[in-house]
Amino acid sequence: MRRFKWLMLLAVVCLGLAACGGSSSSSASGTSSKSTTATASTVSGKLVVDNESGSTWTCQFNPFNPAVTLVSFGWVYEPLEYVNILKTGSVTPWLASTSAWSNGYKTLTFTVRSGAKWSDGQPFTAADVAYTFNAMKSDKAIDLNALWTADGGPLTSVVQKGDQVVLTFNAPSQPYFYLVADQTPIVPKHIWAALNQSSLHSYADTHPVGTGPYLMSNCAPQNIKYLNNPNYWQSSAGHPVPAVKEVDYPAFLSNTPANLFLAQGQAQWGGQYIPNIQSFYISKDPAHRHYWFPPVLNVSLFPNLTNPVLSQLPVRQAISYAINRQVVSRLGESGYQAPANQSGVILPTYQAWSDPSLTSTTYSTAKADQVLAAAGFTKGSDGIYQDKSGNRLAFTIKTISGFSDWDASLQLITQQLKAAGISVTVQDENTTSYTADLQAGHFQLAYGGSGGPAPSPGPSPYYELRGLLFGGNVGSTNYERYKSASTDALFNQYSSASPSQQVNIIHEIQKVMVDQIPLIPVTEGVDWYQYDTSHFSGWPTQSNPFAQPSPYQAPDMGVVLTHLVPLQ
Amino acid sequence: MRYLARRGGLFLVTLWAALTVNFIIPRVMPGNEASAVLATFKGINPAALHALQIQFGTGVHQSVISSYFEYLGNIFTGQFGVTAQGVPVMTEITSKLPWTLGLVGITTVIAFLIGTFAGMASAWWRGGRLDAILPPTLFIVSTVPVFFVGLLLIYVFAVKLNWLPLGSNYSYGATPTWSLSFIWDVIKHAILPGFSLVIVTAGLWVYSMRNNMITTISEDYVKTARAKGLPNRRIMLGYAGRNAILPNLTGFAMQLGYVLGGAIVIEYLFSYPGLGYLFYTATTDHDLPLMQGLFLVYTLAVLICVLIADLVTAVLDPRTRDA
Amino acid sequence: MAIPDISVTDSITDVEATRAPRRFLRTVLGNRKAVVGAVILLVMAFVAAFPGLIAPDDPQAAIYAQNAGPSSAHLLGTTQLGQDVFSQLVWSTRLTLIVTLIVTAIATFLSTIIGVTSAYVGGITDRALTVFIDVFLILPVLPLLILLAAYLPPGVTSLVIVLCITSWAFQARQLRSQGLSIRNRDFLVAARARGERGIYIILVEIVPTMTSLIAASFLSLAVYVVGFAASLQFLGLGNSSELMWGTMLYNAQQASALEAGNAWWALSPGAAVAVLGTGFALLNYAFDEIGNPALRPVRRKRRDRSSA
Repeated sequence: MRRFKWLMLLAVVCLGLAACGGSSSSSASGTSSKSTTATASTVSGKLVVDNESGSTWTCQFNPFNPAVTLVSFGWVYEPLEYVNILKTGSVTPWLASTSAWSNGYKTLTFTVRSGAKWSDGQPFTAADVAYTFNAMKSDKAIDLNALWTADGGPLTSVVQKGDQVVLTFNAPSQPYFYLVADQTPIVPKHIWAALNQSSLHSYADTHPVGTGPYLMSNCAPQNIKYLNNPNYWQSSAGHPVPAVKEVDYPAFLSNTPANLFLAQGQAQWGGQYIPNIQSFYISKDPAHRHYWFPPVLNVSLFPNLTNPVLSQLPVRQAISYAINRQVVSRLGESGYQAPANQSGVILPTYQAWSDPSLTSTTYSTAKADQVLAAAGFTKGSDGIYQDKSGNRLAFTIKTISGFSDWDASLQLITQQLKAAGISVTVQDENTTSYTADLQAGHFQLAYGGSGGPAPSPGPSPYYELRGLLFGGNVGSTNYERYKSASTDALFNQYSSASPSQQVNIIHEIQKVMVDQIPLIPVTEGVDWYQYDTSHFSGWPTQSNPFAQPSPYQAPDMGVVLTHLVPLQ
Repeated sequence: MRYLARRGGLFLVTLWAALTVNFIIPRVMPGNEASAVLATFKGINPAALHALQIQFGTGVHQSVISSYFEYLGNIFTGQFGVTAQGVPVMTEITSKLPWTLGLVGITTVIAFLIGTFAGMASAWWRGGRLDAILPPTLFIVSTVPVFFVGLLLIYVFAVKLNWLPLGSNYSYGATPTWSLSFIWDVIKHAILPGFSLVIVTAGLWVYSMRNNMITTISEDYVKTARAKGLPNRRIMLGYAGRNAILPNLTGFAMQLGYVLGGAIVIEYLFSYPGLGYLFYTATTDHDLPLMQGLFLVYTLAVLICVLIADLVTAVLDPRTRDA
Repeated sequence: MAIPDISVTDSITDVEATRAPRRFLRTVLGNRKAVVGAVILLVMAFVAAFPGLIAPDDPQAAIYAQNAGPSSAHLLGTTQLGQDVFSQLVWSTRLTLIVTLIVTAIATFLSTIIGVTSAYVGGITDRALTVFIDVFLILPVLPLLILLAAYLPPGVTSLVIVLCITSWAFQARQLRSQGLSIRNRDFLVAARARGERGIYIILVEIVPTMTSLIAASFLSLAVYVVGFAASLQFLGLGNSSELMWGTMLYNAQQASALEAGNAWWALSPGAAVAVLGTGFALLNYAFDEIGNPALRPVRRKRRDRSSA
């Protein structure tokens, strides 16, 4: 009996101690990033990143391993040139000081920067660049963008000539500039050439040597600590880059603790989906806390075009008319993702590429009815349309379980389609089965795009649209299995077209999207981004979109890091 | 001796049953989950892939019997296959095991002590206020699903009051050492999940202890002890209590499975990176080899505890030897 | 035709056989905890049967303000999508209760049949079945549930199947013990002498004498079924578009309702599960005390019992 009382007392005492301990530690970390005499001419301060990665860190930094690219490419490894997809035409020389196409977009020559050093002191040269590309021939698994001909791309040779590197393609390949210049991390030949060349993809790279702004100083499963690279090539006398001395990148297993951490002010740079961001995050310090979600990639409803009912255009038109994208955006995505338009071009990001006459998308249940009636569909007694042979407009929609905003959006879409006489049932699947089903065409309707398996965006709408519509991509990212020789021809022309011609080609593809409705974009997927200006400035913002702002975006996060400056 | 042999036999049979369950389930369940999942495992070495194919019955043209024995052989040499990321299942499990062992082990002991003493005391002062309030309260609380207690604690202590941290087993910046501050950090992170488990499981043991105690108290030797004038506390703890616990030990150990299940939910709620959280992520990733490996480990844990309980009972309680 | 046994015994079962309904009512009413439990269950049953009377709003209509706190228009606030939480809670009662009752009924039935058969038949069958039961008792329930559910498509049917598979062993031992204790009663000996088949004896002779224990088993199993079903759905193994308390919890958790939205959305279904479980547990007190007279509360006034 007494023993029991003691146990209770002990528990209470513990809680009391925890309370004292808890509150003091949280206030301590809140002031951790204060620095004494920080100006742009000295290096100081500690930045904490808040991005939920879903698991603890494996402490591997191989930039060719998609699972760990986000902690290595941009931080430690760098690209040849930086292409900002949020600003059309913006190309910033990085490890290459200049580049030029010749021979009808079949030859690309980079002149590498002089004076850059690897973090172990060795000089960076064109030999490293040539080595990086040629190593992809020895280990196909690191040719992540399928550049070489052996992997289905157009690259035939990469040769070093002094301080230049010449890439030769077997066909006009202007769109490959982005993949070669921005999306390829350059690795040091003097380290990587000594490894087993056919298994470079499994190299753990626990102590990465790169040219980038940060050195990986210490890695534990719970946290990666980066320190500034004092010999970084962008630094000059009196103007050190980067200006932030230390960066902590904790690992979070799930969204909730990550969001709480950010809301409590323990991190300054977030890449999180935060429900009710206004009340949960912003309201605690509205003067300094901000968020910006630039749209980059569509979230769409994919009809399986091999399905006999869905292959009929009036059915797809009716579905597109019946979805109230405004409501899905407002309620399903909490207003964070703007409604998409049927032409498939993300606005305002790709405004310069878009034909404004094609981007208005109608929501009208009446029009859906009209289109179906004109095509000979009649409403059954259960309120669902059926065709002349009695096939009901009833479908299953596959989605990824756990994507709560997609689930929410689909709940709304289900109701909206029902009101238009189309019945849909949502099927949750895990990512593995979902991806397999989509690529194999085992589905009727599917909801997918940004956040799930999807084509990667690029500096123009070409990249997403080609991923979705090019005939050769059936089985990878062309989920709806759309095949059209004329559309394929458009994509092929793009590769050798001049910039203004490329814009016209995009307009043509927009027309295809609007007229043929191969898929139905619903919302515009975004980059998640929160930032706190109380200790650091130099953040990318909507008015100054100098890079994609999310801490998980490679190599853009490296660009952001070179701009950040600790405040006094 | 016969008692031990019988219990040992049960141990082996249950272990065999768990292994066979793991072998049978992928084969009898509808659909081709297993082959779809295995198809996504990239870049694992062929030997590991073959072992998985044997276990799940996909892509091998071998008789079920020979697959079964090969599978059993693999298990006994510690090869549980590889996860979806190509990491050996054993490695993943052993890295997370200490944390769950600590959390569940300590909370089970605390809950056991609370429940047992509460049962003892309630039976001793039967009909009194303690008896009217404590066992029913503890029992009712134990019927509350553990995630609800966890949610409440999170809401009150982590979100509203911000007294205790939410998520993970120690603060991100701390390095694991044996320093006092690190240990305190670990304890701070374990308080909420641990407390949830204790609250919900303490009541599991109250009633059986109380009922056994009541029966024991009515025995002659207790009456004799009272008549002899021994102090109450001595009788309650040293005579009646000791004898009342013993028949329950095995039953207590068998409840461990329930506690482990609760720990899965708690670790998920609190993002506590132990075996339970591993099980949860394996589920969402549909990482069947990892899930089955974890299921085996859980079953083994319960079996070992039951066996220990049986051993202790056999040694301490002569009544079992007559059986 | 069973010959009633009129010999005086100290076992409760014979008394139960002849006076089950009256005794049940008296025991329940006489036990304060059981009354509370019964009231809870009756209220739940009413809500399940007539949800429209209490919450006329369509639970899935996403038409209100999002994540609003409790107000007079929305007693428990709204969800992320702008649905009324109170309506969802009320309308989810039906499916939750139905699933609970079906699973518990099937599991109790299996438990009884296997336990009693094992006791009655005896010998090697008894040994084998006992081992079978013990194995299922030791296998950890939630991990096995999750493992099974991972292979099946998410939904109520899968939920019922996996719960039945893992719950049937729960009370089998107690039912077997009871079976053992009445195995050699005179009326059973008489039935065997008459040449009745084993199945007949088990189903018609033995089981009806155990109604009280079976009812107690049913109630105590129901407590855990409610919790396990909700836990499975909470972890994401259910179908989030079905209206059950467990799926409400899942949706609320996914939307971080506790931290960033309407905490009532996350807490109220959990509270409902707790209350339902408590109702079953409280009602179960009445049966515990029937089965074991030593546990009856020591009362100062002796209730006047009619002669046995």
